[in-house]
Amino acid sequence: MFEARLTQGRLLKQVLEAIKDLVTDANFDCAATGFSLQAMDSSHVSLVSLMLRSDGFDHFRCDRSLSMGMNLNNVAKMLKCAGNDDIITMKAEDSGDTVTFMFESQNQERISDFELKLMDIDSEQLGIPDTEYAATVRMPSGEFQRICKDLSSIGDTVIISVTKDGVKFSTNGDIGSANITCRQNTAVDKQEEQTVIDLNEPVQLTFALRYLNSFAKATPLSTSVILSMSKELPVVVEYRIAEIGHIKYYLAPKIEDEEMEENDG
Amino acid sequence: MASAPSGGRSHEDELVEVELDDGLDDAGEDEAGRQASEDVELHLGEAGRNWERPPAPALDERIDGLVFQQLDVDYYVGPPDKQLYHTDLLEVPILRIFGVTEAGNSVCLFVHGFEPYFYIESPPGWGPDECDVLCNELNARLAEQNKSSRQTRWCLKAMIETKQSIWHYQAQGKKAFIRLTFATPLLVAKARGILQTGMSIASIGFSGSFMTYESDVLFALRYMIDRNIVGCNWLELPPGSFRCTSTSLKVSHCQIEVHANYERVVSHPAEGEWVKLSRFRILSVDIECAGRKGHFPEADKDPVIQIASMVTVQGDSTPAVKNVMTLKSCAAIVGAEVMSFDSEAEMLKRWRDLIVESDPDIIIGYNTSNFDLPYLIDRAATLKVVEFPYWGRLRRNCLKMKDASFSSKAHGTHEFKEITVEGRIQFDVMWAIIRDHKLSSYSLNAVSAHFLGEQKEDVHHSIISDLQNGNEETRRRLAVYCLKDAYLPQRLVDKLMFMVNYMEMARVTGVPMSFLLARGQSIKVYSQILRKARQRSMVVPNLPKIGATPDGVGYEGATVLDAKAGFYRWPIATLDFASLYPSIMMAHNICYSTLVPSPEAKQMAAEEIVRSPSGDCFVRPSKCKGLLPEILEELLGARKRAKTDLKAATDPFMKAVLDGRQLALKISANSVYGFTGATVGKLPCLEISASVTSFGREMIMHTREMVQRRFCKANGYNADCTVIYGDTDSVMVDFHEPDCAKAMELGRAAAAEVSATFTKPIKLEFEKVYFPYLLVSKKRYAGLLWTNPDKHDKMDTKGIETVRRDNCLLVRNVISTCLDKILIDKDVNGAKAFVCSTISDLLMNRMDLSLLVITKGLTQDEDKYKSKNAHAELAKKMRKRDPATAPNVGDRVPYVIIKAPKDAKAHEKAEDPIFVLEHGIPIDSQHYLEHHLKLPLTRLFEPLMKNSNELLSGDHTRSISLGKASQAAGGIMKFAKVQMSCLACKSPLGPHHTSLCPNCQSKEAEIYQRMLGNVNELETQFGGLWSQCQRCQGSLHQDVLCTSRDCPIFYRRKKVQKDLTEAHSLLSRFQDW
Repeated sequence: MFEARLTQGRLLKQVLEAIKDLVTDANFDCAATGFSLQAMDSSHVSLVSLMLRSDGFDHFRCDRSLSMGMNLNNVAKMLKCAGNDDIITMKAEDSGDTVTFMFESQNQERISDFELKLMDIDSEQLGIPDTEYAATVRMPSGEFQRICKDLSSIGDTVIISVTKDGVKFSTNGDIGSANITCRQNTAVDKQEEQTVIDLNEPVQLTFALRYLNSFAKATPLSTSVILSMSKELPVVVEYRIAEIGHIKYYLAPKIEDEEMEENDG
Repeated sequence: MASAPSGGRSHEDELVEVELDDGLDDAGEDEAGRQASEDVELHLGEAGRNWERPPAPALDERIDGLVFQQLDVDYYVGPPDKQLYHTDLLEVPILRIFGVTEAGNSVCLFVHGFEPYFYIESPPGWGPDECDVLCNELNARLAEQNKSSRQTRWCLKAMIETKQSIWHYQAQGKKAFIRLTFATPLLVAKARGILQTGMSIASIGFSGSFMTYESDVLFALRYMIDRNIVGCNWLELPPGSFRCTSTSLKVSHCQIEVHANYERVVSHPAEGEWVKLSRFRILSVDIECAGRKGHFPEADKDPVIQIASMVTVQGDSTPAVKNVMTLKSCAAIVGAEVMSFDSEAEMLKRWRDLIVESDPDIIIGYNTSNFDLPYLIDRAATLKVVEFPYWGRLRRNCLKMKDASFSSKAHGTHEFKEITVEGRIQFDVMWAIIRDHKLSSYSLNAVSAHFLGEQKEDVHHSIISDLQNGNEETRRRLAVYCLKDAYLPQRLVDKLMFMVNYMEMARVTGVPMSFLLARGQSIKVYSQILRKARQRSMVVPNLPKIGATPDGVGYEGATVLDAKAGFYRWPIATLDFASLYPSIMMAHNICYSTLVPSPEAKQMAAEEIVRSPSGDCFVRPSKCKGLLPEILEELLGARKRAKTDLKAATDPFMKAVLDGRQLALKISANSVYGFTGATVGKLPCLEISASVTSFGREMIMHTREMVQRRFCKANGYNADCTVIYGDTDSVMVDFHEPDCAKAMELGRAAAAEVSATFTKPIKLEFEKVYFPYLLVSKKRYAGLLWTNPDKHDKMDTKGIETVRRDNCLLVRNVISTCLDKILIDKDVNGAKAFVCSTISDLLMNRMDLSLLVITKGLTQDEDKYKSKNAHAELAKKMRKRDPATAPNVGDRVPYVIIKAPKDAKAHEKAEDPIFVLEHGIPIDSQHYLEHHLKLPLTRLFEPLMKNSNELLSGDHTRSISLGKASQAAGGIMKFAKVQMSCLACKSPLGPHHTSLCPNCQSKEAEIYQRMLGNVNELETQFGGLWSQCQRCQGSLHQDVLCTSRDCPIFYRRKKVQKDLTEAHSLLSRFQDW
């Protein structure tokens, strides 16, 4: 038996919005520690890792670990029917083939049940080993979203370079080029408006903007975003969800050789 | 060059110069040329045992006649043979006819004395004097244009003849035309230009231009028409009518070389005993080149390493010569002759000698016209083997090669190298198949799999070089492969009866066989019109080109009745018009020569003319019988005879010839209508084609109306019949009659009643019933076809995805299996279950990749495509990866759809199937479901079930596999670590477990068993596939090299190999076992 109740139902809706563009079908893993998901996007370029800890739920019960396969578009369809302030409860039997979403309005006047047929998804469990990163940037998530959106109207890829002064995003396209620099800024009072750089050595990496834009869909979940980078390693774009967990995106950098290969064959 | 080191060397130098001369002035065949040819003669190698033709009997020209089947006719311009053509001209056209006697000896006949000519309409009141003036004027003008020539005269004569134009009905009958005769064929075009632009001749007070008649008829064809010679028929030279050339003076490689005057050649129509074919020889060639990595072989860099040749005598079932020439040593091959050479130049020379010695009449091969033959010639030029390009029939003539292109509406533009090999017909099997058959791939492998039912291994260019650089055993392997490639075209020719069918087509349409491949459809009809016109003293105008009409300015096509879609579980009768368009043309006397322009039609009595529903008028046959109806009558009459003979024939070869003939006759009869509608053709006449279709439309409507009125309850029948569908020449009638035999009875009655209301020879025939019949929509239906009430003949489908070649095999398989189940087993539920299990296999990634390959033709250069097409973009991508294997213009590009980011464009999702296999890229199964299966399946099942969507979204779609990501695919997989999950329930495993989670431990034995079973099964499968590939390559002791994109086995083998590795790694996770 699996049961998890979340007062802030909105949160679950936002989580779905943040991953359904990247992943269409995935297994949600339920364990005593929490409710999690690890999946590659369909073209195997990026990886999403979601973790909602059990202690963040109002009520969490999981007798044995379960893996529930769902089509995220269908989950999103059901969650759309929940009000923003509704309390959401997920329920599943250990050997059942459905999961139930129950939505309760704040004042308990309206209770709805949605039952989704589960899928049997054969996929591998993936994870990126934790490492020490050469550079970590924390910046306002809205700022990051805007930068990605603006740059993608100019070019397809972005070069992110981190130095001790700031982080620079630059792109090149048919119509011209663009550079946006965010300076280290710790003076502001509010933590969520700060740009903080933690640097061991300067890093410069290239990424496909298409994916960063998809990652930025998680912006409503957190006021700030943390970018962790090392030479020749995937960037981690992390959104911390207050008191319950995080959503992390991994994206492999574009490597010079690959570019060469693509151009010269 | 001043001090030539040896005699031999200087000989060669001389040869080079001589040939350069020859190249510059191809008409001038002088003494020096003769000299060169004799030098070439000296280089001929020793003859192979069975290569030569049977020895030719000695001919005594006074007693012996000469009978042979002609295969090709061409001409050249040279000095006249004064014995056979009395003239003062310095240069005259001389026709060459190449052929083979019944005993199999090759013949070259030189025909002298035939003069090119054409007609113009005579201005009123002209007599012989005016004609002479015109002749002189033309002479003067042509002399001006040909100042450098030493010719004495150009226009030879102008004579008045009574003829009639075939263009429009000529109420006044025949009138005067002037026949202009010229010295050489080239002058015809020049004179035509002068006459069409107009001229003024002061002495007779004439000024104006002329319409020319028959001025664009090729000279060789002109001769054939005038002497009633048709393609590939038998010719006879009676004793005393010809002159033999003695062996030492022969200019050709033919065994018998004779000269004759054009009037002495007797042509036998292809009837009775003259239907036979001579024992001509076919050479099939294939070459192998050692390419460099990543490049398609180029003649100026990459050597030819092997040449395989097969010579087959027509009528024999096995080749007389099986030869392979290799560069460097090669181990012996049973049943074939291996000749090894140390130098490439020696090999090329020896091959040239092989051709001269074996003297083939027809050279075939697969894509030889674009690759093998040009490559050999280019390579010889690079190596400076100057003696090489002399394997035409004429000793002194160097082969000429030029770029050419052929465009047609049906096949698009295709570029090729035109090589003139005098006296030997080139027949590229690939082009013949492209013209006659629609296939999804035209690689030799795919074609032989389709027609011969066997795969052939496909060795990649880069491996060829490795094999060549190995030892004599590896080269032997390559030689076996090369021999097979040379043998397959011959087997295709035998299987598809190409020689018989093409020769019959040549005989029926009267054009040389070489025209059939190299030219379009229109020349065939044109040749028949010219022949018929000549019989009736009519002439065909050479209309100025009107060019292509802009879209929309056409005429209305055939009619299609609305389809009453549904699944009919009872018999549906089909009524067909036999040869609809030809019979309309015959019934209503529709022809160029009977068309009455509307102003004149108003003045004619109504009973004299027939007005078509499109408003054009034609005179009735009593007034003037049309040319086209007469041609059609003859064609259809001949077809009827051929069919009767076919039934009576017992000899399998005669049967093949007659079947080929009746097919050729049918195609020819049907192409007459198309000829009149081809706006870019020789003689377009839209009034004719529009009238024909308008009659057709009217007839279909009339049939529907009449059948429904007659066969109803009011007239005592069990039910009111309904016409459920009709298209162009057929009408489907539902009599609501459950019994097959009774439905046939009704069909026959209806056909007879309706036929009676039409003018002869239009006939509505009852041929078949469909039972059951699944009518999906217009032009899409399937049904079991019955011609007798006891047993169905076959399944017949139209427009349903079983045949369309741009669909992937998956769709074709699913649809055809469903049709089998629905129509034959009458098991709709079985069909549904099959669809569900297939969809499930697709989503679970269990599908064979070969089933998912889609092919599209690359019709133009990638860069020329305006929008980004998937296949064009992929071709570009593949070219960057490896230009050697990338598809070229004209090829069909195979691709599969891979998973891509959400907003990716369609063209980013196409990928080369081999690349996908090698890199383990995930397939977008959802795309196949949505874009490939959905539409055909809903269409098919719509008439059968209420909610056809449940096939696509039921429970079976809820098990999917995302596939094993492979590191080779790049992206995040380079960094990600696979976390082990429980082999039973898929939940993540803790650090101490490798196979199962604690919850599933109890089932360990059972799961291990299953895994082991899986590995065993895959191993068996792989073993089977591997040995199948080994058998295909003809050796069970060596590795398989084949990477054929067209072979389903290849994909399956690769897939099983991958699955097996995975299964092994899963099994190894059970550490304690």
